[in-house]
Amino acid sequence: MKILLALMFLLAASAGTGVVLTREPRNQVIALSLNGLALALLFMVLKAPDVAYSEIAVGTAVVPLMFLATLVSLKTDKPKPERQQSSHRPRKHAT
Amino acid sequence: MSRRIRLLIAALATVVLAVAGVVVLRHMPAFGAHPLPYGDAINHSAVTERHVTNMVTAVNFDYRAIDTVGEEFMLIAAVTGTLVLLRGRRGENVSDAPAPLQGHEFPPRREALTAVCRLFLAITWVFGWYVVLHPQLTPGGGFQGGAILGSGTLLVYLGEDYRTWRRLIRSRLLDRVEAAGALILGLSGFAALFTHAPLFTNVLPLGRTKAMLSGGLILVENGGVALAVGAGFVLVLLEFLEETRAPKENAS
Repeated sequence: MKILLALMFLLAASAGTGVVLTREPRNQVIALSLNGLALALLFMVLKAPDVAYSEIAVGTAVVPLMFLATLVSLKTDKPKPERQQSSHRPRKHAT
Repeated sequence: MSRRIRLLIAALATVVLAVAGVVVLRHMPAFGAHPLPYGDAINHSAVTERHVTNMVTAVNFDYRAIDTVGEEFMLIAAVTGTLVLLRGRRGENVSDAPAPLQGHEFPPRREALTAVCRLFLAITWVFGWYVVLHPQLTPGGGFQGGAILGSGTLLVYLGEDYRTWRRLIRSRLLDRVEAAGALILGLSGFAALFTHAPLFTNVLPLGRTKAMLSGGLILVENGGVALAVGAGFVLVLLEFLEETRAPKENAS
């Protein structure tokens, strides 16, 4: 149990680091989703299945999808800026 | 602000945070230990008092249901704000027809993908309703189940196409479903007032422990939350996805 817990903490920490180190926005969304999954597993091991459900539904499905949608809408509005964007996180669509 | 000053401030903040962090860490309870009596009290009495086996639900929808109402209406306010902002740009006369997509058209889906998505949609929805309908027995409840049901509809988008998903999502109907869910939650709180009991007293019969129909009002409240959360998620996703397809207003 202790080893499993340590492994899960390590997994969550490395998944979080992975999100920060991924620079390309679309890949970063996938990394964020994986981070949510790692957190859900951690909550599972910590005997908090209710929180794990919420984390899976919100953290790995809905939030990444919103980021993806935002990225797509940025792309359709401005056809070119893919190169510059790859260095920082996408910002919310400004009206 | 020059680079030097910014670095100085950053260094100062790091030192303060590090010192404060060490002080806090030294005073924290041991990992897994919880010094507060509330959890133990609930674990001890909820099964006999409320006939439920999921203590998280017992706290969220009975003992501290008033907090859940606050969260629920926070969610509704967030969804409403998003809808007002995004739908406002599309105009008040929203139709159920998808906005035209400019530029790239996706190739039709493979049959295998469609088959897998249909299968998983069925499984996801059965599981979602299971989570909604057993809040008092097993982990989960209205929020989790609603989120599973709402985001599960996206399998239609993945497996068929956007047009089909959009045809299934009736935004005007979902507006009402969301409001109805919130109303159910609010009314089940006020139901107690007719019996001169405090707000959110569990006035329905509690049933037999571990039966599907047990826990009294907890089940009703979870149903309301599931409706509101599921519809809210779908509505927000709809507005976000419409945003990706909105035709350019100032096209060059």
